[in-house]
Amino acid sequence: MNDLIIEAKGLYKTYRGAEKAAVDRIDLTVEKGSFFGLLGPNGAGKTTTLAMLTGLLEPDDGLLKVAGFDIRTSLDEVKRRIGLVPQEISLYPSLTAQENLAYFGMMQGLSGNALNGRIGDCLEFARLTELADKRVETFSGGMKRRLSLAIGIIHEPLILFLDEPTVGIDPASRLFIFENLKAMNANGTTIVYTSHYMEEVQTLCDTAAIMDSGRVIANGRMSALLSRQGKGMIRIRTAPDPTEAVRLDVESLPGAQSAIIKNDLLEIQTQEPEAAIEGVLRLLREKNVKLLSISHGAADLEGLFLSLTGTHLRD
Amino acid sequence: MHDAGNLTRLYASILKETRLIVRDREALVILFVMPLAFVLIMSLAMQDAFMEKSGVFTVAILDNDNGAVGQGVIAAFSSAGYMKTTVLKDAHDEADVKKEINSGRFKFGVIIPKGATTLAKGRVQRQLNFAKDGSGNGVYVRLISDPAMRVDHSNLVASSLARALAGVENRLLWEAVASLSGMEITPEREKEIREILDGNRPFEEVKAEDATGTRTASPMPTSVQQSVPAWSLFAMFFIVIPLSVTFIKERQLGGLTRLKTMPVPSSVVMAGKAIPYFIINQLQIALMLAVGFFIVPLLGGDALSIGNSPIAVGILTISASFAAIGFGLMTAMFCKTTEQSTTFGGTSIIVFAALGGIMVPKFLMPQFMQSISVISPLSWGLDGFLDVFVRGGGVSDILPEAVGLLSFGLVCLCVAAWRFSLKPR
Repeated sequence: MNDLIIEAKGLYKTYRGAEKAAVDRIDLTVEKGSFFGLLGPNGAGKTTTLAMLTGLLEPDDGLLKVAGFDIRTSLDEVKRRIGLVPQEISLYPSLTAQENLAYFGMMQGLSGNALNGRIGDCLEFARLTELADKRVETFSGGMKRRLSLAIGIIHEPLILFLDEPTVGIDPASRLFIFENLKAMNANGTTIVYTSHYMEEVQTLCDTAAIMDSGRVIANGRMSALLSRQGKGMIRIRTAPDPTEAVRLDVESLPGAQSAIIKNDLLEIQTQEPEAAIEGVLRLLREKNVKLLSISHGAADLEGLFLSLTGTHLRD
Repeated sequence: MHDAGNLTRLYASILKETRLIVRDREALVILFVMPLAFVLIMSLAMQDAFMEKSGVFTVAILDNDNGAVGQGVIAAFSSAGYMKTTVLKDAHDEADVKKEINSGRFKFGVIIPKGATTLAKGRVQRQLNFAKDGSGNGVYVRLISDPAMRVDHSNLVASSLARALAGVENRLLWEAVASLSGMEITPEREKEIREILDGNRPFEEVKAEDATGTRTASPMPTSVQQSVPAWSLFAMFFIVIPLSVTFIKERQLGGLTRLKTMPVPSSVVMAGKAIPYFIINQLQIALMLAVGFFIVPLLGGDALSIGNSPIAVGILTISASFAAIGFGLMTAMFCKTTEQSTTFGGTSIIVFAALGGIMVPKFLMPQFMQSISVISPLSWGLDGFLDVFVRGGGVSDILPEAVGLLSFGLVCLCVAAWRFSLKPR
């Protein structure tokens, strides 16, 4: 087992006036050098968890060690070793790219040649060297995201926290961010990544935790998490659209683990795809429901996420 | 791990804040152009109200005597280039004269009582008769002035009246003396006569009286002496708006979130914001003083006179800046949106200014409004500046105002620091 770089035990946080705890005594570990995804529907507690991991919020209870330091007693030591790329762009629009980097670099404690060297590296990293003297207010959304990411790593943190880093950017900038995060992770930086985009997390992360209602409901290596979902997913489209009665009948078929209605699709998790398909086709004939299409795919994180957290709307 | 320390962080904060301000055109207009325009406009527009053009004092004379005294005063005032004299034909009494002054038609009124010449001649005759008792009053010629007049201007007219009356006295005296033919004046006799004359002066000392019967305890400033410190203070406190807006934007854009994940003390962030605005405040006052010194006279106004204590001016400027920055930071901490901060910040400063004698000079306010004005920190600052500029005050004279401003700033800063913390909560 690798060294743990984040270790939370019984982590608890509740907001004044709230009926339920935002984070309800969770245990969480992140191995050094891992690419860790933190998932959850709105209100699951992942933002509060991330805020505690980065020192923005103080836990009400529990143990939290980040980079080997207790966050309660050695917060500044923790802060020197972490970087945050917030969901907001978090830049000064009327400053240039270079001035933004210089400001945050100096606030991180860099100066002189070390600072200048890191500014140059970060501009290069963000592919903004040519635009170093341009004000950020003239940048596209993708350029701002790249600069925001560069600021997060200007002090070469051991752990980089990213909160929805690809919201509102073009595919090229998204790809750029993915490639650079992978490269940084390969060079030893531990990355904690939160996103609503399941395919991003599945592609990038080697470990993940799924939170719901303030608790961690699944946690572990990505391969192990996906195996929990079974061997695959069958998706069928019917006319008329699948009803709740059909869903319940399908769920009781041999080989079907669970069935959910997603938009106009009926999605069936299964360990035995052949048996499940046979059973579904027979059922639809018996019910005089017309089959429009059927597909079978491998297990994915989104399926797991939905099966664990449900499909009802969250505020 | 390399760490350049908090001085580097402070430098970075100051540099960043300065760049944000310098690149914000609207803020620069508010901080520099607006008060400059106010100083120029108000200094020139209020000249008449402040009677800076002392070359022409309008004087109404009510001559109830119609004798040598009245003629002497009218002749003397008419020959003085700095007075425009009008003999009131329709006025009958003191109330009429005060009414004319209160209507703004005249700045001064002179009332020569009925029988003044007869009484004056009688007093002269007593001098010549060597009456040693010296009892009884002389002729009391009254000088009534607009209460908004500066004391030095009132004194100038009073002394002119005194000189005119002295001229009348001399004339009456020598007319009487000339009638006494053959009198030999030896040095001993001359001394004795002088003593007799002093004891029997025909006229009482002239004192200026207000038309309303009350006079402001302090001398009045010129319009430039009022406008420069008043609008400078207004501009200094107006940093509330850019200061709070930049802070709130920083919070909304997420810059503060980043800072909270960095090893940065709250005090560095606060000082990084305060220091550039402190420098801006000093530039504002320097610019406004320069306008008062050099630009206002070019446009026909009086040059600014700032008294004899530049140290006191410096202390007041620093104190006012401290108060303004504290108020700005406190506003930033409590307002959630830029709309809130501009509305609250702008309104509060305008109310402070209106109460504090910035927009309407305090001496023009009714007494109860003058009492209310003490709640405005701008009023404390303005009083301090006027102590120095107009009343010739020094450091000890402005200490109460300076301490008041510093205390106000300190309370605001403490509240702001309590609200703002980079520590996790």
